Amino acid sequence: MRGHLYFVTGQLVAREMKRKYSRSRLGILWSVLNPLLSMAVLSMIFSTMFRKSIEDYPVYYLTGLLIWSFFTAATNTAMTALADNQALLLQVRLPRSVFPLSRVVTAFVNFLYSLAAYAVMLLVFRIPLRESALVFPVIVLFLFLFSLGMGYVLSVLYVFFGDIRHLYGVALTLWMYLSALFYPLELLPRTMQAVIWQNPVYNFIAGARDCLLYGRMPPAMVLLRIALWGAGMYGAGRVVFWKSQNRVIQKL
Amino acid sequence: MEKRREERPAIAVRHVSMYYKVPVEGASSFKEYVIGALRGRNRTRVLRALEDISFDVRRGEVLGIIGTNGSGKSTLLKIISGALLPTRGQVEADRDSIQLLTLGTGFDRELTARENVYLSGALLGYSRDFIRRKYRKIVEFAELEGFMEQKVKNFSSGMVSRLGFAIATARETPGILILDEVLSVGDMFFREKSAGRIQEMIHSGATVLIVSHSVDTVRKNCTRALWIEKGRQRMDGEPGEVCAAYTDWGKRRKEVGR
Repeated sequence: MRGHLYFVTGQLVAREMKRKYSRSRLGILWSVLNPLLSMAVLSMIFSTMFRKSIEDYPVYYLTGLLIWSFFTAATNTAMTALADNQALLLQVRLPRSVFPLSRVVTAFVNFLYSLAAYAVMLLVFRIPLRESALVFPVIVLFLFLFSLGMGYVLSVLYVFFGDIRHLYGVALTLWMYLSALFYPLELLPRTMQAVIWQNPVYNFIAGARDCLLYGRMPPAMVLLRIALWGAGMYGAGRVVFWKSQNRVIQKL
Repeated sequence: MEKRREERPAIAVRHVSMYYKVPVEGASSFKEYVIGALRGRNRTRVLRALEDISFDVRRGEVLGIIGTNGSGKSTLLKIISGALLPTRGQVEADRDSIQLLTLGTGFDRELTARENVYLSGALLGYSRDFIRRKYRKIVEFAELEGFMEQKVKNFSSGMVSRLGFAIATARETPGILILDEVLSVGDMFFREKSAGRIQEMIHSGATVLIVSHSVDTVRKNCTRALWIEKGRQRMDGEPGEVCAAYTDWGKRRKEVGR
């Protein structure tokens, strides 16, 4: 059964990937190019502005962008996973969680491709990886769990209230500005900084910047928050998803 | 041993009722819902989709379920296949051996036919090895040699349903086979071929449930028929009789309507 779930998830992910690039020539290469182009644009706009406070601005931005893009792609696509597969949910006796799960995995595969772009930029900017880089996979793991948990909750909410999609879009915009993607946190007043440290996504980003860009261990407090948010959101997502399964099916 | 098998029905439906709560004014948006909740106005009405349905299906039996649209047939199927939990009552059946045959499960028109065989097969519960082994047979049965690398969106509807049928019936002997309006697929020749395949599966000892609103299909293929109307069990018995009663009732209803 477990083996079969891998197979199904794999097939669903392959489907999503093929669909995504079925009309483009460069195909999967876009997963690499996209963040690079976005980085180029933002760097042109902001690097003079933040030159003094941020070293290697493009990589600073790219680190945050990759994490942020994975998070938004995963949650946005997982949100509609149940509704999109309405017909299937009633025909197939698979655990229904494979649908949001495969959307999150798809976003994750994309994220892995974009890490190639990241590696290139590290080389270009001559940023060496230290032992602290070993923490990065752990951060990514919790980021994955965090996104998956959110995805479960959103996919259920979306079945009952289609409007959540638009609400979430607005919330994401606000959330992005609170994640210090393209500006240095030190620029903000102290109280605002404290607020942003409560933002789970910022903790993932800050942790990643520490261990890759600055070659140092993230503070214990940050690691703790990362682990708690990741595990907590995943747990909450599972509970919500499993408790509402029957109602979801009736609604569909 | 043999006797025991006979005694236990393949599917036992016991006093199954299914009620849905339907909001009187559907709150389809979050805003409406919140406003409704604040006013204490999210009133719901209970829709009785199924009311106290009970029947057994013995092994090897071919049961046809008839009824007009919205009579609760597909709700009953979903409960038997385990997709829905009934409000009351229970269903005893070996869930692992049930196969719900609906065409084109999970087809994606942007993918090629070959990719769809794997995708759809995975969703139906086949393993990768199994699909690989059966692949040629599936293509052959669907009569799609030479088309498998094309995107399904370029297929005619007949080709799509042939492929769907071939994938869905690739499994050797599902213990319990549920057919939801699938016996009217493709052109005349393919219809004969698919009816033949179903017969084969029936002969290999599968228990079959056929849902249809076509009386002919039920009369031709079933050993027993069940008529459900407005969620209630109207009649259960020999297909000829049940179908006759159903047709009569339909005629009478038409006359009353006039």
